[in-house]
Amino acid sequence: MSQPDSDRSSSDSSRRILSALADGDATDSEAARAFQAWRDDPDARATWHGYQLIGDVLRSEDLASAPRADEAFLVALRARLADEPVVLAPQPRAEEVPEAVPAVANGGAATRSRARWQGPMAMAAGFLVVIGGLNVLRPFGHGPDASVAAAGGASSPLMASATAINNNGAVVPVGQQTPAQTKAAADQLAPYLAAHRQSAMNAPFQMPGNDLRNVNLVQPAQ
Amino acid sequence: MMLNPDPDAALVERVKQGDVRAFEMLVVKYQRRIERLIARMVRDVDLVADIAQETFIRAYRALPQFRAESAFYTWLYRIAVNTAKKALVDMKRDPVTTLTALQGSDDDDETYRPGMEPTDGETPEALLASKEIAATVNAAIAALSEDLRQAITLREIEGLSYEEISDVMNCPIGTVRSRIFRAREAIAERLRPLLDTREGNRW
Repeated sequence: MSQPDSDRSSSDSSRRILSALADGDATDSEAARAFQAWRDDPDARATWHGYQLIGDVLRSEDLASAPRADEAFLVALRARLADEPVVLAPQPRAEEVPEAVPAVANGGAATRSRARWQGPMAMAAGFLVVIGGLNVLRPFGHGPDASVAAAGGASSPLMASATAINNNGAVVPVGQQTPAQTKAAADQLAPYLAAHRQSAMNAPFQMPGNDLRNVNLVQPAQ
Repeated sequence: MMLNPDPDAALVERVKQGDVRAFEMLVVKYQRRIERLIARMVRDVDLVADIAQETFIRAYRALPQFRAESAFYTWLYRIAVNTAKKALVDMKRDPVTTLTALQGSDDDDETYRPGMEPTDGETPEALLASKEIAATVNAAIAALSEDLRQAITLREIEGLSYEEISDVMNCPIGTVRSRIFRAREAIAERLRPLLDTREGNRW
């Protein structure tokens, strides 16, 4: 029985693709067709085996093996592969690739946009720092409204020490101070505290900052 | 570093995407070469197929880690060598257990190993069939036109890429592709009577 022309042409095309795939020259769509043919078409499987066997025999006659041996090998391996979990290597998602380009392309725009508000924000942050710094410094220069120092230094020796250090620009964490350092800081603070007490007594308003007197308690008793 | 792109790249990628059947295509492609390699290392011919099976299973498991820094066959070759070496070491340490392990772990069926019945790979009939195949391929090659013979030889024996063959033969890549296909078809046509099975479809 003769094969219809369309079938013969399709089969011929399938074998051409298998030949190209064997040499790594198939396009993606051709490769997809070849994989499908391997699954569905016994002739395609026989063709693939035949092409590979021809290549092997051309390289060395030692590689000429009986087809039944090859078949038995594959059947045995299929049985073992059936027990294996399917391998799935992480794949880059195809749709992410085109998205990656505009993401990079927008990088400059994003940077420019960031640059637009970076300046004002930095300036605002700078003001906040200055205001915060003034608030911290004010009690020592202007009397009892310095509740910051009062609240901080009132009951906690550690906080009192921290305040002193901050005012002196030191960055050593409180917990790392030695007793000698604490005493030195307290000695430095003594004139300021004395001035502050004097100022507080003359102040028109008595603020909760009276508690500042408690700061004396934080001086190390040595 | 590879000079030419790995010809198996598409197949490997397909397997990595979960297509185990694509791995079968790689097995069919390299099984004979791997078995011959192992046979040179392991004298016991009964173990060759088992170690080859183990090689492919290990390769399948490790494929997600294959980074294509070498050709797939180079990578597979290394796995085969290591598997054979390990089998030899294990054999020296505990010959009986290793033999059992390599031949399958179906302890509940001592008489049957699926698909691993004694193959006819080493029988006189099989040897004769192998010789017939080799003779047929050689005769078919000799009967090819010069262009087809040169194209298939440069590809299969010299390992040149289509681009390199097109340079050597001074023809377009499409012509190289066509010539190699026609050469394969001409040889396969002669081989077909030897490859057809008694039961019909083999694969």
